[in-house]
Amino acid sequence: MQTRITQDNLRRLIYVRDLLRELVVRDMKLRYKRSVLGIAWSILNPLAQLLVFGFVFRFILPVKIPNYSSFLFCGVLAWNWFSSSLLLSTGAIVDNRDLIKRPGFPAAILPTVRVTSDLVHFLLALPVLLVFLMLDGIRLSSMILALPIVIALEFTLILALAYFVSTIHVIFRDTQYLLGVLLHLLFFLTPVFYDVHSIPTRYQALFLFNPMMRVIDGYRAILIRGEFPVRVWLLILGAVAGVLLTFGYRTFSRASYHFVEEL
Amino acid sequence: MGSAIIVQGLGRQFRRYYLDRPWTLQEAVQRGLRRMAPVERFWALREVSFSVAPGRALGVVGPNGAGKSTLLRLLGGVGRPDEGTIEVHGRLGALLELGAGFHPDLTGRENLFINGLISGLTRREVATRLESILAFAELQDFIDNPLRTYSSGMQMRLAFAVAIHTDSEIFLIDEVLAVGDLSFKRKCLERIAQLKREGCTMVLVSHNPTTIREFCDEAIWLQAGRIVAHGAPDVVVGQYAANAAR
Repeated sequence: MQTRITQDNLRRLIYVRDLLRELVVRDMKLRYKRSVLGIAWSILNPLAQLLVFGFVFRFILPVKIPNYSSFLFCGVLAWNWFSSSLLLSTGAIVDNRDLIKRPGFPAAILPTVRVTSDLVHFLLALPVLLVFLMLDGIRLSSMILALPIVIALEFTLILALAYFVSTIHVIFRDTQYLLGVLLHLLFFLTPVFYDVHSIPTRYQALFLFNPMMRVIDGYRAILIRGEFPVRVWLLILGAVAGVLLTFGYRTFSRASYHFVEEL
Repeated sequence: MGSAIIVQGLGRQFRRYYLDRPWTLQEAVQRGLRRMAPVERFWALREVSFSVAPGRALGVVGPNGAGKSTLLRLLGGVGRPDEGTIEVHGRLGALLELGAGFHPDLTGRENLFINGLISGLTRREVATRLESILAFAELQDFIDNPLRTYSSGMQMRLAFAVAIHTDSEIFLIDEVLAVGDLSFKRKCLERIAQLKREGCTMVLVSHNPTTIREFCDEAIWLQAGRIVAHGAPDVVVGQYAANAAR
């Protein structure tokens, strides 16, 4: 009996892994099936943003930050993953009614699929970022080995929020639209094109609750400054992301008993 | 030897909303969050109890909205009962919502893999069954074409072929026997009969009295969420037909 149970668990584990992989591949194939540039989009899009921001903050509103292009690139990539994943995963349940109705289908995998396929995009763009940094004269240190920690933290954070927004979208179908507006505003309140240290002290508190600030600064610490991110912030970020994920997953699971009748 | 399926005092409540219930946050706020709460709750299923012994087939008949699909979904673990318990012993396969996850832009083969995984197989399991699935669906020559070039009958054949290759011990079947052309339909019915001979347990929803008579060992008649009659298929189907004719 004991072995039967562990065997079943193992099979289930393999199954969920296979399912996740297959759905992520499907997601990516579909996204690029009809576009000529295909996967190159995941690199061209941040490059285009980089060009515009670089132009504005170098020549029009000059920002005094060393290696500004690299600084910007880190911020843009991290932010893009956050905002596009959240927007995409909002519709994870509503867009997949047929899967939700399938007996035995784990609905909780749907938000994960969208966040994971954007993780793949992020990882595809990462080598481009590294080459860019080197061309910009930045020497990459062995600190780069700590990069997976920040990536894992950002993934957990996005996934946690994805469970919330995809659940809310089942009840209010304009969530995606409202979230788009919200993310647009949040973009300016996150140090993507400016530095954490340039925020005046009396406004610092305003940014305390923006987890993406610490995530982005984590990338910059490792890649540009060649130092380990502030440990306390990593720990706090990890704790917050963990609690949010637990809570988000529970909310999602409880709501999922009613998904079929609401869709 | 216990039962494969035991359902006891099953009840499932649905919420009924206002017809003009706000579906966006904007509307909801404009109306001061009124009309959001359900108007009432009603029982889609109530006091439903039955059990199915391994290798037996149970037919479910009843008018539209009687709760047949809800019952099948609950047996499949989609949603939770509000009352009572459901026990299912054995690997479950579903011949309902066939073709879930199909996408017209992907090839038949890509869709086959995704659908197989959605039906509960691992990648390796799908790969080892590939030939047999293709042979059953009679689609070998088209498998690398995009699904949008398939007729709806061909798509159903692919979906059905995947569904019956899941090595399940218990099958939930919802009126999908209207698959493809006549010869394929006959093939499906034969396959279901074969699965039953091999010892699979089945719960079958159908509006076709012949199907119920032919395949089922017993039947239940659902009406407004409750079991009205439970017994031999001939008797139950006869009662249901007589009632519907009135």
